[in-house]
Amino acid sequence: MPPSTPQPADDSHQQLLDQMDIYYAPKPFRNATWKPSTRRNKNTKQIISESQRKEASVLATQNNSGASTPNPATGATSDGAATPAYSSAASRPLNVAQATQSLSTLVLERNLQRAANGPVAGLGGPAVTYTNIESAPSLHPANHKHYCDITGLPAKYTDPKTKLRYYNTEIFGVVRTLPQGAPDQYLAARGANVILK
Amino acid sequence: MTITSISPIVNERRFSTPPPGGAPRIYPAPDFPFKGWQPPQPEGYRQSAATPSESAIIIDNGAHTIKAGFSFEKNPHLLVPPIVAKYKDRKYNKYCAFVGYDAYADATTRGQIRTAFEQNTSIPTNWDIMEGIYDYLFLKLGVDNDGSVDRPLVITETVANLGHSRRMMNEMLFECYRVPSVTTGIDSLFSYRYNKGQSGLIVSSSHTSTHVIPVLDRKPQMQSCTRLNWGGSQSQDFLLKLLRLKYPTFPGKMTTEQMETYIKQYCYLSKDYVSEVSTYLDWSGLEEERDIIIQYPYTEQVVVEKSAEELARIAERKKESGRRLQEQAAKMRLERLIRKEQELEYYQHLHQSYLEAPTKKEQRRILDDEEFKDEAALERVIRDLDKSIQKSRNKDLGAPEEEEKLEEQLNKFPLLDTPDDQLDEDGLKEKRHQRLMKSGVEARIRAKAEKERERARAAEEERRDIEMRETRFDVWLQGRRQQRDQLLAKIKEQARQKADSGNRKGMASQMRMKTLANLAADGPKRKRRGGGEYDDDFGANDDDWGVYRTVATEPASDDDEPEDDPLTVLKAVESELLQFDPEFSEKDTIEAQNDWTKSVLHAFLRGARPADPESQREANQIHLNVERIRVPEVVFQPAIAGVDQAGLVEVIEGIVMGRFSDPNQQKALLKDVFLTGGNTMFTTFEERLQRELTAAMPDAFPINVRKASNPIFDAWRGAASWWNNPDTPSREAATVTRAEYLEKGSDYIKEHELGNFVSPSLGFAS
Repeated sequence: MPPSTPQPADDSHQQLLDQMDIYYAPKPFRNATWKPSTRRNKNTKQIISESQRKEASVLATQNNSGASTPNPATGATSDGAATPAYSSAASRPLNVAQATQSLSTLVLERNLQRAANGPVAGLGGPAVTYTNIESAPSLHPANHKHYCDITGLPAKYTDPKTKLRYYNTEIFGVVRTLPQGAPDQYLAARGANVILK
Repeated sequence: MTITSISPIVNERRFSTPPPGGAPRIYPAPDFPFKGWQPPQPEGYRQSAATPSESAIIIDNGAHTIKAGFSFEKNPHLLVPPIVAKYKDRKYNKYCAFVGYDAYADATTRGQIRTAFEQNTSIPTNWDIMEGIYDYLFLKLGVDNDGSVDRPLVITETVANLGHSRRMMNEMLFECYRVPSVTTGIDSLFSYRYNKGQSGLIVSSSHTSTHVIPVLDRKPQMQSCTRLNWGGSQSQDFLLKLLRLKYPTFPGKMTTEQMETYIKQYCYLSKDYVSEVSTYLDWSGLEEERDIIIQYPYTEQVVVEKSAEELARIAERKKESGRRLQEQAAKMRLERLIRKEQELEYYQHLHQSYLEAPTKKEQRRILDDEEFKDEAALERVIRDLDKSIQKSRNKDLGAPEEEEKLEEQLNKFPLLDTPDDQLDEDGLKEKRHQRLMKSGVEARIRAKAEKERERARAAEEERRDIEMRETRFDVWLQGRRQQRDQLLAKIKEQARQKADSGNRKGMASQMRMKTLANLAADGPKRKRRGGGEYDDDFGANDDDWGVYRTVATEPASDDDEPEDDPLTVLKAVESELLQFDPEFSEKDTIEAQNDWTKSVLHAFLRGARPADPESQREANQIHLNVERIRVPEVVFQPAIAGVDQAGLVEVIEGIVMGRFSDPNQQKALLKDVFLTGGNTMFTTFEERLQRELTAAMPDAFPINVRKASNPIFDAWRGAASWWNNPDTPSREAATVTRAEYLEKGSDYIKEHELGNFVSPSLGFAS
């Protein structure tokens, strides 16, 4: 890449660079024996899919993973009204074989109990994760206003050929004389382009 | 809301002249944000040495800027964008690492910039870069302890940070820097606490995302918080995309850093988007208020103005060289003439000796030597030479060659009147020649007469046209108007054909394909058998080649003579209409209709002044107009940028009305809507949100929107003041010490009022 900034004739710029460069600067505060894990750089997609897989495998080990409500047959006392798992967990008979079978259920129940009576009130319900706090798509019809793809002005019309929205006849002329590929770029700016895979 | 303002715009565009005004507002394109060498500031570290466990290093780990400083300071004194340029310098054969603004030092370093955060998220994913940045932070903070950073650390993370990212952060801080303790909190909650919030709704629009977090009695309701994936970085990308589409052939280089400056300095949040954008490109106020011109560097093509004296000199030189050329040509002509005269003399002499030769054999020998067939050939050569000499002489003298009238020439063929029997062979030949010449002259006379007649016919037509205009004006006018409409239709059709020529599905292309297919089908019916070559004789008949004429893309026009350009004809018709039609005025002409002052597109691309396509200065300008409100608007209408999420107002509505049922809680939330984060810096943000929320919410809830005292620094200040809070137990309850880290692992955090919670499904069995 050619440098776009004019380089001074003397080595003052190089001196400045040397001054700013921290690669060889002494860093006494660092742990000299620190070796970072080789797999520490993961993108969010990888992290999320890994954690989801982990979550799925945790759930799959529950023999009654359909809900946190255990099958009444395994629980001794179930008055029919009190379905929540953690309310009946305490009165479960201490059958070792059964306990082993439903150990994972117990763990799940404990966690739920902990969540419900946890240090912070109101933290019931689903877990707060990076993916599920994303806001939902808009349902309000008033929010679907159309704007001209070229100028950004309000648009009444849509070109059936390119699917671009346009403001008036003059812009329509522009839309129809766009070079190949340009309409797609306009559509991509508003996330309406068709991506063929 | 319906779009009601379309028709008034059309009327308002009818300005024939640009509005008078001062000079347009032109701003230079900003350079890269390079700040030069920043010396370390170890004072804070030295001061903290008195109370090492009480003085924490506060780091607001922002995706746009990492802010760092000591807890006893008023403001973060280190602002570092989370970027590192790390590479090997080939010239000096050593590695280099430049962090933060230093990475903008020159083109080489800029080319190597990597960021610690994943693009458009607040999640750090590149830990080598992060480590480089923390090295830089501790260096600049003056930490010089051996083997560890011996101060507690308070850092911020994003809402619902991913477990892996938190683990890596803890690992880095505890293992690499061996900090004694780490407290992790959420930036916007710190900011809210700093601005003395009790119950309310935090709207934190930052560099990568916009979070809405409800808080009741100082407790964040994390299960109801929501993220909208839009922030400053997305705005920058969007503006860059829009400008690249607006100026597809822009010669300069537009960078995201420049976009950031444009958004900060020139963009604003419209108070009423739909009505403002509808009139944004109107002439009135466009130049004074709405159009911003950014001038990129350019080199103007130098056009040297020549003085009159210089021009005269150039003309003189031209004349001089012309004269020289003429002289040379004359000299060459003279030389040729002399050579020809010599030749003529030689041949005449030869002819003489031929005539005087005693025997036929001798005569034959003379002719054979010069390779003449017979005497006639020799005579012809002599005659030709004579004639050409005559001609050259005439030219040299400047004598007019054909001044005589064509009619007079007709009388110059005397032999034609002589009967054949009175002529010898040469005479007959000469007669034939003269007849040919005469017919040529006659043809010229006929052509001349034809021209004359044509001129008369045109004059007659014009006379009749004028007569028609004077006697039956309405018919004449109708004819002219019809002609104009036809011409307009023709121009349109031509434009359509031109546009269609590249279209594979167009009529012309389809016809062409049809012809080609037919040709292929017409091919040899007889299959080639054995090795015998089969020739279909294509081309033997000259008509065969005609197929290429039908196959050619351009349909051959019926008549060969080039038609008049419809535009010039139209201009003539329009000038007549202008002169005689009372209803046809200057503004109806096609020229006036195509005028730039009528064009919305011109206002959009080139602002309120006529554009000069030649000017390099203007080619390197970008005009920001609609973009100034279009880009910030995305937070309220994400659909503009293709984000399939609800806008801010709908998100707030959904949280307040959908997730809380107690009216007292709803009231409490709406009473204090708190804005923080760099993307809320637009001055009209509070006003806009207040207005839209008032419109969307029931009357019973009073709505109050306020902004953080400093939307960017308050998270850091909040973290610092929280640490300095005398309530030490609550601080300890939130802090993970080194011992706890070693015991409980890298993803252990303590839940507290200003931080994230551990998700139960992936929680730790206690």
